[in-house]
Amino acid sequence: MKRNRKITAVVLTAAMAAGVCLSGCGSSQSGQSADTAQSTTDETDTTAENTTAEAADTSAKDGTVTIFQSKTEIMDQLNACAEDFTKETGIKAEVWETSGDSYYTDLKTDMSTNAGPTLFSLAPGAESKEMSDYLADLSALSFTDKIVKGMADTIDNRTVGIPYTMEGFGLVYDGALADPSTLTSTDALISYLQKEKAAGINGLGLSQEDYFLIMHILNTPFAIQSDPDAYLQDVLSGKVRMIDAPAFQEFAKLMEAIRANCTNPVDVTYDNNCGDFATGKTAIIHQGNWCYSMFKDYDVSFDMGLAPLPLEGNQKIAVSVPAAWYVNTDAPAADQAAAKQFLEWLYTSKTGTDYLMNQFGFIPVIDGMTSDQLDPISKSVAEAAASGNTIPWSLSNWPAGISTTLAPIAKEFFTSDMTGEELVNQLNDAFTAAK
Amino acid sequence: MNTKVKKSKAENPLINALVILACCCYLFPIYLILTNSFKSRAEMYENMMALPSKLSMKYYIRALDKMNFMISLRNSVIMTVFSIVMIVVLTSMTAWVLARSADRWSRFLFGVLVATMLIPFQTIMMPLMQEMNWIGQNLHIQMTDTLPGLMFMYIGFGAGMGVFLYHGFISSVPISLEEAATIDGCSTWGLFWKIVFPILKPTTMTVIILDVIWIWNDYLLPSLTLKSKMNRTIPISTAKFFGQYTISWNEAMAALVVTIIPVALFYLSCQKYIVKGVAAGAVKG
Amino acid sequence: MKIRKGWYALFTVPLMSIFVIVVIIPFIIGIGYSFVEWDGFAKHAATFVGLRNYAEVFRDQRFINAALRTTVFTAIAVLSVNFFGLVFSLIVTTKLKARNIVRTMLFVPYLIGGLILGYIWKSVFSEFFLSIGWGNWLTDPVKALAAMIIVTTWQLAGYVMIVYITGLMAIPDDVIEAAEVDGASYFQTLFQIRFPLLMPSFTICLFLALSNCFKVYDVNISLTGAGPSYQSEMFSLNIYNEIFEQSNFGYGQAKAIIFFLIIAVVTLLQVRATKKREVSL
Repeated sequence: MKRNRKITAVVLTAAMAAGVCLSGCGSSQSGQSADTAQSTTDETDTTAENTTAEAADTSAKDGTVTIFQSKTEIMDQLNACAEDFTKETGIKAEVWETSGDSYYTDLKTDMSTNAGPTLFSLAPGAESKEMSDYLADLSALSFTDKIVKGMADTIDNRTVGIPYTMEGFGLVYDGALADPSTLTSTDALISYLQKEKAAGINGLGLSQEDYFLIMHILNTPFAIQSDPDAYLQDVLSGKVRMIDAPAFQEFAKLMEAIRANCTNPVDVTYDNNCGDFATGKTAIIHQGNWCYSMFKDYDVSFDMGLAPLPLEGNQKIAVSVPAAWYVNTDAPAADQAAAKQFLEWLYTSKTGTDYLMNQFGFIPVIDGMTSDQLDPISKSVAEAAASGNTIPWSLSNWPAGISTTLAPIAKEFFTSDMTGEELVNQLNDAFTAAK
Repeated sequence: MNTKVKKSKAENPLINALVILACCCYLFPIYLILTNSFKSRAEMYENMMALPSKLSMKYYIRALDKMNFMISLRNSVIMTVFSIVMIVVLTSMTAWVLARSADRWSRFLFGVLVATMLIPFQTIMMPLMQEMNWIGQNLHIQMTDTLPGLMFMYIGFGAGMGVFLYHGFISSVPISLEEAATIDGCSTWGLFWKIVFPILKPTTMTVIILDVIWIWNDYLLPSLTLKSKMNRTIPISTAKFFGQYTISWNEAMAALVVTIIPVALFYLSCQKYIVKGVAAGAVKG
Repeated sequence: MKIRKGWYALFTVPLMSIFVIVVIIPFIIGIGYSFVEWDGFAKHAATFVGLRNYAEVFRDQRFINAALRTTVFTAIAVLSVNFFGLVFSLIVTTKLKARNIVRTMLFVPYLIGGLILGYIWKSVFSEFFLSIGWGNWLTDPVKALAAMIIVTTWQLAGYVMIVYITGLMAIPDDVIEAAEVDGASYFQTLFQIRFPLLMPSFTICLFLALSNCFKVYDVNISLTGAGPSYQSEMFSLNIYNEIFEQSNFGYGQAKAIIFFLIIAVVTLLQVRATKKREVSL
């Protein structure tokens, strides 16, 4: 027993010492790596300029691009794309496998152990801010100034993120059951829901997944504030209460109406939500252009489109960049140069843009690039973006991981008799607690 | 007489049929996996519980193709077999000496091995990866993104359960046999491999079965360590059916069925062996 | 019997050194992290905060709830897993003609790993139950916990069955036959002869079930996703969220260490208690 106690004591002391050490090393290391990061960025900046000038650079040729990204849907096409890139430029490229669920965890673990990929994806906003000192400056790429306004991820005046595509969400409507031109105010939408309920149709379908239950729909009242970013900061710091804004009051009313007139979203999965829509049981779903691929196995005979969520008469669709490409400053200089070369190739060469538009099915994010492959919902998104009829995704600036606190509140709302006002206040408290 | 009655009961086809029927109900979720691996998204939405309207192998073919099945299968088999062999050899040896020397140190080691089985993997994965990368950078032994490195980690993680299982059964093996062999002049090495290890066969089979399934299905550890295309194992290659928004259910389930088949076959072949092993052990004991 | 020091080392050192490298060192580094505040990125400084993380754990109501819930879940799940595992093993070690196929069928659930199992069961508890009028179990906190226990039992019963079978087969037939000749009923031989001889298997199975249930993660995330309102959140998922979603690496580690200490004590007591009741042949 005595001996065991001694061993325990030794282990504990060792652990304590490790703790002190880690904090010590951590800070000194961080200073050091910040320096090296600085110098590598400088270095690669020049190489990047060279690459754009000569389109061939020895250091990029020696490098390997390792690509790690969250969109599993384009995995196979991306593998083919990487092979074509190597064929055309002679630079080695490799794609790491991932699943959508564990992507960010895997990436974080890799980054924390200095074993990160060269080129990776993040959701611009909270994620890219958290990692900002790992993100290389991509301003020198030839096409960065042609990216659609506001869509590139810029931190401290450095363009660090190149957008994949645009995504937009709002009311995806069935043209045979709903006429978007009549749904221009919260009240109009609510009376539509009541009418549809009487007709035995689910007026507006949400589903149980965090994003489809609360995150997306809660974005609109934030995004239609005159300055969404400043408003979010005020909410986070407790300076304003959400319930005092008319947009949130209407949001509260709408949520009550959804609970009263529509199928309980907590019982509906995303798959069924889309199935109900495709088979005409649901007239409108609060979704985005990503869901079009879900309809491909059904015979959908009606016209569909994307309409705004009309809180306070809002007539704009929430359009943003779901994911963007970033280059890791911790990667060897040659690899970083190769990664930049890959982006250059992907967004400017004939083969590269063909992959973007036709293989990945992306909505163009570069001025002058067009795609004739768009589905009806994506077309609505592209049109809204072209005419500037968009509101931002405030939700990408919400505190990281907040979906795991907001969703339980919304689930409770849908399964109890909580009022809309209480819902908004509880959501508000979750924001102030998260900071 | 009693046994005779039981025997006739045990052979009663009705009872046998009832038991099998009960098992079929028990396997209802498996039925869902099987049937839905043949359905399109629309058909699955229509009725998840129904039988598929047609048995098309479309989703199987597509899943196998996307998984790069032959390479993944090869990697999974190599990784599982080598890890298991090492786990069996090393843990049985360790468990035996720990069980047979009842001093404080042995009890301490055993306690540590067992206690670590309770550590959730999520809490040590980051330090583990840091350490493995450190080894790669400073000692130049590549631990990440190589199959041997992954096997090494599996041996470490399998140590606790292997030692625990062997330890439990060694305690119930009579020690007299070993003492007799020692008197006959058997070395400790020979004693273990010639006398003890054969007696442990049923436990060895248990360890193999339980560990094979764990390693075969494990996702998190390989997803952290294996990055290159050539090293992918089956679970990592099925991950692509789970998109950020959309899950290709039919392909995912087809992939799952294909993944289970090798382990199921393996289990079936082991099962006979367990029975035989036990009988042999009993005769010797 | 005495094993000489040299042999002792030869038999244990290879495994123990791998084990130390793979499990113990990361674990100790992990303990070290529990004394710092850090977001997990190598470039960001970690600050030493002493025992503050530990003090905070005891004020974290959500964590305390998750820990208590995990304890309740584990207690019930361990019993039901072992009950069914034992019953299954008794069925398939009879002379039943169908025993081989039955044994395979009962073991199949364990062959299916990972998240997909949770997704399948999710549709059973929500869609299927709704369609037969039992209501959605996953939106009710108590029923959601019950659902987790059912799925865990379904998956692990076949697993402990394997260990029980090994134990049952090791009991010599003549012992039982002798008892039966003396006129003992089935249940008498079961409780008075087979169970006492099965004690080592009980120790093993209880512990295996315990360690699997305490660490439950896959089923938690894929079946209930901690819902409704965190009311089915288990300990592993809570830590995982703390570390990877909220980026509180040090604090998450402190939680892990505290919980580990609690389970380690409970389990060692349990193992010691059952070990005492073991009988050797």
